[in-house]
Amino acid sequence: MVVSLGPLEIPGRLVYDFLHIFILPGFGAVLVLVILIIWAERKIAGLVQLRYGPLHVSRRFGGVLQLVADLIRYTFQEFIIPQGADKIAYLTGPVLALIFAIIPVAFIPVSPLIEPPIYVSSNILVVLAILSTAPIFIIITGYASDNKFAFIGSLREAFLMISYEIPFIISILSMALLFRSLDMSDVVNSQAKYLSGIILNPLAALVAYIAIIRITGRFPFEISEAESELVMGPYTEYSGLMYGVAMGIAYIKLYVYSMLYSMVFLGGWLPILSNNLVESYFIGSFIILIKASILMLIAVFLRSVYPRYRVDQAIRLGWSQVLILSIISLIWSLVLSYFLR
Amino acid sequence: MSQVVAKDPDLNNLLSIFNEELKDLATKIYIDKTERVIYIEVTREKIMDLAKKLLHLGFDHVKSLSAVDYPQEKKIELMVHIGSYLRVVRKYTVVIKSALERDNPRVSSLTSIWPSAEFHERETWEMFGVYFEGHPDLRRLLLPEELEGRWPMRKDFRIITRKAGEAETPWK
Amino acid sequence: MEVSGSQDITQELAREIFRVVETGVKEEGERLIELQIGPTHPGSGHMRILAWVDGDVIVRCDPDIGFVHRTIEKLSENRAYIKTIPLVERPSLLDTTPMTIGYVNALEKLMGIDVPPRAKYLRTILAEITRIASHLYGIGILAIFLGHSTGFMWAFGDREVMIELATMLTGARITYAYVIPGGVRRDMPQNFPDAVEKGLKYIEKRLRDWEKIFLNNPVVERRLRDVGILKPNIARILGVTGPNVRASGIDYDVRMVEPYEAYDEIDFMIPVAEEGDGYARGLIRFKEIEQSINIIRQAIRKIPSGEIISPQISRLFNPLMKKIYAEQRRVKLPSLMATLKPPKGEAMARVEAGRGEALFHIVSDGSTNPYRFRFITPSFRNVILFKYLIPGHRIADLPAIYGSLDYFPPEADR
Repeated sequence: MVVSLGPLEIPGRLVYDFLHIFILPGFGAVLVLVILIIWAERKIAGLVQLRYGPLHVSRRFGGVLQLVADLIRYTFQEFIIPQGADKIAYLTGPVLALIFAIIPVAFIPVSPLIEPPIYVSSNILVVLAILSTAPIFIIITGYASDNKFAFIGSLREAFLMISYEIPFIISILSMALLFRSLDMSDVVNSQAKYLSGIILNPLAALVAYIAIIRITGRFPFEISEAESELVMGPYTEYSGLMYGVAMGIAYIKLYVYSMLYSMVFLGGWLPILSNNLVESYFIGSFIILIKASILMLIAVFLRSVYPRYRVDQAIRLGWSQVLILSIISLIWSLVLSYFLR
Repeated sequence: MSQVVAKDPDLNNLLSIFNEELKDLATKIYIDKTERVIYIEVTREKIMDLAKKLLHLGFDHVKSLSAVDYPQEKKIELMVHIGSYLRVVRKYTVVIKSALERDNPRVSSLTSIWPSAEFHERETWEMFGVYFEGHPDLRRLLLPEELEGRWPMRKDFRIITRKAGEAETPWK
Repeated sequence: MEVSGSQDITQELAREIFRVVETGVKEEGERLIELQIGPTHPGSGHMRILAWVDGDVIVRCDPDIGFVHRTIEKLSENRAYIKTIPLVERPSLLDTTPMTIGYVNALEKLMGIDVPPRAKYLRTILAEITRIASHLYGIGILAIFLGHSTGFMWAFGDREVMIELATMLTGARITYAYVIPGGVRRDMPQNFPDAVEKGLKYIEKRLRDWEKIFLNNPVVERRLRDVGILKPNIARILGVTGPNVRASGIDYDVRMVEPYEAYDEIDFMIPVAEEGDGYARGLIRFKEIEQSINIIRQAIRKIPSGEIISPQISRLFNPLMKKIYAEQRRVKLPSLMATLKPPKGEAMARVEAGRGEALFHIVSDGSTNPYRFRFITPSFRNVILFKYLIPGHRIADLPAIYGSLDYFPPEADR
């Protein structure tokens, strides 16, 4: 359904790529949404806990710009590199984790009429593969800081990464099996024809959401950065701007995972279908962002409700209940795909 | 050994049992006027046997183990408060007092009988200098390294106020 | 008369407590990591916990305390008796009243001063108010060590209600110096019973919310059930006190064993649990809050009218003090109390503080300063659990067990 623009193809392509990568749903949307979601997390937690949450920085808007103030402070804070740390790994670890967390945005289509900046016909698989490499850099950062607590934190991250990525991949692939395509645009178009993914295969939706909560380190799975056991997990020795980057990685991963989830399970840019290029781009991406925001808000709200699991309990949960549920969802997809011709 | 008669019949029972079981171990047994505290004085050689007998009578934990310094009488008196969780004797506290020489206060450790005394004995060691023979892990507990070997709770360790510009340590 | 034979306690102890995990390689540095969970760690409080860890399992644990040692016992030897009352409050900043009650009881026993009944009831009411505040603090610390920030914030918010009530009664928020030998310093204001009832109703309503979000929370149950199980015979041998020993099945509470103040005229229960794990210890603290609410209500109802200071002290008043006492029901201390000289002798008192049994022993030689003041707090008696209860558990269980024991380092270090 991709529309060709004729003589305006190449400049149009450049304009669209620029908009997609840098404004919406790329860096600009990431920045705004991450600021809003972190503010929402702190505000919701504050209101549940009988206090105000962020209030002071921009009083009229309820303290929304608190995170901007925090980022400015991190920028001017002294950046200390510990003496025994492996400098290259220490400096590049969080940055590479950030890069690998945000690259998948270039692969995700936001409109049925326009191709994403990098078009691959099996873009679900590519997105999953790139997202799976981000934890490796987190493990490297923990190991590179010369600190026992960071080391234990990265060990925990390693164990948990393996236990929860596998059920996530199985549940997403079960949806791809159901809709018989690894291309996100086709998946969304199939959802327009039948029903949205969450109704067709609720088990896979549940497993994928639990896995997202674990992978992004939201409560009750905030284990590798457990504050009362390991001071900050792999990021213990970071200060200054790198600390801001390290804290942001989890939220950027949450953003990208939520976008993937909303494409595969919630119908992406539906229910709006339009034939106008500009309209379908803007409205489509807004709808995807709204769905992703709802998922992020739920994930972030759990901070006020749950404490954190112990690492062996979480690993056991991942390998027993969650994995089995994901395999059952795969079988269910197989059965259901027979009826969806 | 005193033949004290108290108003409380349970206490009288307990005192008669004490008089019978501990007659050649304790030097003196007397009670406090609230009739809830029993003081037993004993010499340092007999303290282990006394402790074993008290353990068999049901006094199973140490509430406090410390010392009192009497420099004029040249003794450091070990003061052990023991109690029991058993219902009949739990309202009585027994205080064992034992006089040790002030120049070289040594006594055998009570941790082999009452393990709850472990941290109390460490504190008494660093505060008074009482050496407990047989303690599994006798080292300082609360004080910093500078005060090792100084025995702060003894009466000859005086705390003075320092004037501005003087050295840091406010003790002589 | 019951006599118990416990001959082989040390062998029993060796078998059950020393659960050193067999790792195969015994030398340190090959498999064991030494973790210094030091004083500047978010999960350690004012102490250092040295933990030797094999993988995820703690093999040996050594508590290194003394970071907030304030030499209360030595300082009291240089001060008059009455000046030690604020000194005794300072270690255990959360339940300050039982500490002052204990010290003043020992002093009153030494000097033979009787306390009028109204003062006893006022002391009991304040002691129970501080007990609720102390338990809420313990629950808050348990919550934040598990990662449950809502529990932490709610505990401190609800504690404010109790602190406001104490302010209404005594004028100070946390350290009151309200209890003096012979009675108390102020009478309760006219609107105090109504304010107390409002505060207690609020706490009761909040306890329902607490049940929903904390006690019935599946993750909290997973973290605390069967973690740090303290068996009753081990608790007996190690001399553990307070809610920790009541959660292991031993119903020992000084308020019932040796009643002091007005506790023998008030009807209350002692909650006891059998399991001895971290969840039972947390649950016992909630139940004790309910019992304290019960005690405060009965005390407010039953409080007799009368004097709040013993006649042995009030006959020393000069006319200005008598006038202030008659009009405002406030006690101004006569100057003779600053140079109090008790008779030669010794006296002992024990009380049930929020964390367990506190013991006070005064040795007097007839002068204005105590000759020796021995003061043992419940947290100091519970330190031994760090050495013997934690080995065999995982790293993440260390904050869970620490929080459930409600160990307060300044109280232990004195």
